[in-house]
Amino acid sequence: MTMAVAHLRLAGLVRHYAGSPSAAVDGISLDLPRGALLALLGPSGCGKTTTLRIIAGLEVPDSGTIQVAGRDVTTLPPHQRQMGVVFQSYALFPHMSASGNVAFGLEMRGISRAERARRAQAALEMVGLGALGARKPRQLSGGQQQRVALARALAIEPDLLLLDEPLSALDAKLREGVRDEIRALQQRLGTTTVFVTHDQTEALAMADLVAVMNAGRIEQLAAPEEIFERPATRFVATFVGRAARLRGQLESGGVLRCGGAALRSTTALPPGPAEAFLRPHRVRLLRPGQAPPPGYDNTLDAQLLRRVYTGEIVVLEADTAAGPLTAEMHADGEEGWHGLAPGDALRLAFRPADLAVFRAS
Amino acid sequence: MTGWLLAAPALAVLAVAFLWPMAGLFRISLNRTTETGAMEAALTTESYAKLLGDSFTAELAWNTLLLAGSSAAVATVLALPVALMVRAASPRWRGLLALLGIAPLLVSATARLVGWMAILGDQGLINAMLMGSGLRDTPLPLINNWTGVRIGLVESLMPYAVLVLIAGLGRLDPRLEEAAATLGAGRARTFLRVTLPLAAPALLAAWLLTLVLGLSSFITPRLMGGGRVFVMATEIYDLALEYVDWPGAAALAMLLLGALVLLMLLRAVTTRGAGRRA
Repeated sequence: MTMAVAHLRLAGLVRHYAGSPSAAVDGISLDLPRGALLALLGPSGCGKTTTLRIIAGLEVPDSGTIQVAGRDVTTLPPHQRQMGVVFQSYALFPHMSASGNVAFGLEMRGISRAERARRAQAALEMVGLGALGARKPRQLSGGQQQRVALARALAIEPDLLLLDEPLSALDAKLREGVRDEIRALQQRLGTTTVFVTHDQTEALAMADLVAVMNAGRIEQLAAPEEIFERPATRFVATFVGRAARLRGQLESGGVLRCGGAALRSTTALPPGPAEAFLRPHRVRLLRPGQAPPPGYDNTLDAQLLRRVYTGEIVVLEADTAAGPLTAEMHADGEEGWHGLAPGDALRLAFRPADLAVFRAS
Repeated sequence: MTGWLLAAPALAVLAVAFLWPMAGLFRISLNRTTETGAMEAALTTESYAKLLGDSFTAELAWNTLLLAGSSAAVATVLALPVALMVRAASPRWRGLLALLGIAPLLVSATARLVGWMAILGDQGLINAMLMGSGLRDTPLPLINNWTGVRIGLVESLMPYAVLVLIAGLGRLDPRLEEAAATLGAGRARTFLRVTLPLAAPALLAAWLLTLVLGLSSFITPRLMGGGRVFVMATEIYDLALEYVDWPGAAALAMLLLGALVLLMLLRAVTTRGAGRRA
């Protein structure tokens, strides 16, 4: 097996803003292979946009380096970096037509008028706007402006494509379609891409790698399934997806004593105060006294508090000896949630590996 | 409706202090000046006919337009870097820088012009330096001529241009310049291809406002021109007080006012266009 050489390498990026006590970006390091799509996921103010702007050269880091294809670009001004950026507001030039916008980067590279008209047209066709090149940005819908911005960034055949919350200005119905289009285009062109978002579904659906960020640092850098299934920190467990929180005392052998219950887990943490997170869709619903399926070694008798039916999904909130728990299931699944009313007795089961256990803070 | 009520006191003051005298001035412009120089009540357009038939009026109008137009253009061009600097500053400094940019407005026009005289006069700062260093034997005529008036006018118009440009450039999204940079445009090309075209409506608005102010300027041509520079405003003054031709002065004033109103309308149209683009 050969080692994949990182196409983008960030090493120890730090950025302080004057007048702010904490760093906006506080030691970001990561390697991204060629052709991969990285999502920087985090709440607002976590430093993800600042990181993107540092990669683009729009902000200068206080320390740390940026390498693209083995070349250090840390001190290069943005116009020499060969990076295509799609801004959150798209930042299309209002005084130029769509094709003028797309051709701008080619013009800056001294490409002849005929050649750049041809390539701008090709880029617009790539995003499905071949017929609208003559329109000014204000004559285009939000989704169309977004595509022009993408075509403009891709027309320069960038070493790196940088997207700053590219879907946040679109209405919810459009968002999913555009998301999948961007991903398909990115994979077809094989452009290494960094994508900033605060929307976990977007990050999980699009990315090869997700970096969950909080307070200027990367909490976890991993593939989407890994992030969701095996959160590395308490922050990741609570920020990505929903989870019930159970607090208790960890005993030897990974047993979490939690209220009146002893729950089995797969953690290797030493005994001490701990808290565990449990995803609702991992919790199985059983009738009182019913034996759990194999592997479901944790069972809890519960009393239903609330039932929320949303069409496809049913959410049951129940009180257990370990504390309140939430179970989530498909409405048309096998589990007998029909006829359950608040106050009814039921039984909940889950596997030891479903508990993400962390040291209590 | 409430808006009109709230504005009523200001409108009343304007009506009494502005519209009424203006109407009076228009009335005077229709009077006649007799051979003896006395004004007699009449309803005649004689003064307008005399002014419009006189080639000196055309020369005067041309000189005034040239002076105001060029001074406004220079003031606008000089104000652009100031406004760009204010825009690029961090929010903390922006207010202070903007205040500095318009600080000259806090000094009376007369005091500023006296200052210019001390700098530009034959024994002034500049000529003292030029002759003291042996670069020139005779003083460079920087005052009591069109050059002096233009220098004084540019300086007095600049703060207004700065104000208009700060407001206009404030609506220009800095992300656009960043986008240009990421697409490969260096500073100069970003400025020429993105900043300048998008600032054009603000530049036009600044030029038109300072043009209007320049056209009606009186004190600067009067003091810096040393009696050798003739523009509309100084001529109105001369007609009224030297020649005691009140109908003539009033008629010339009405002509200038008409031109200014036209320009203000033009400005309103262009600034509305700028608002739409931003």
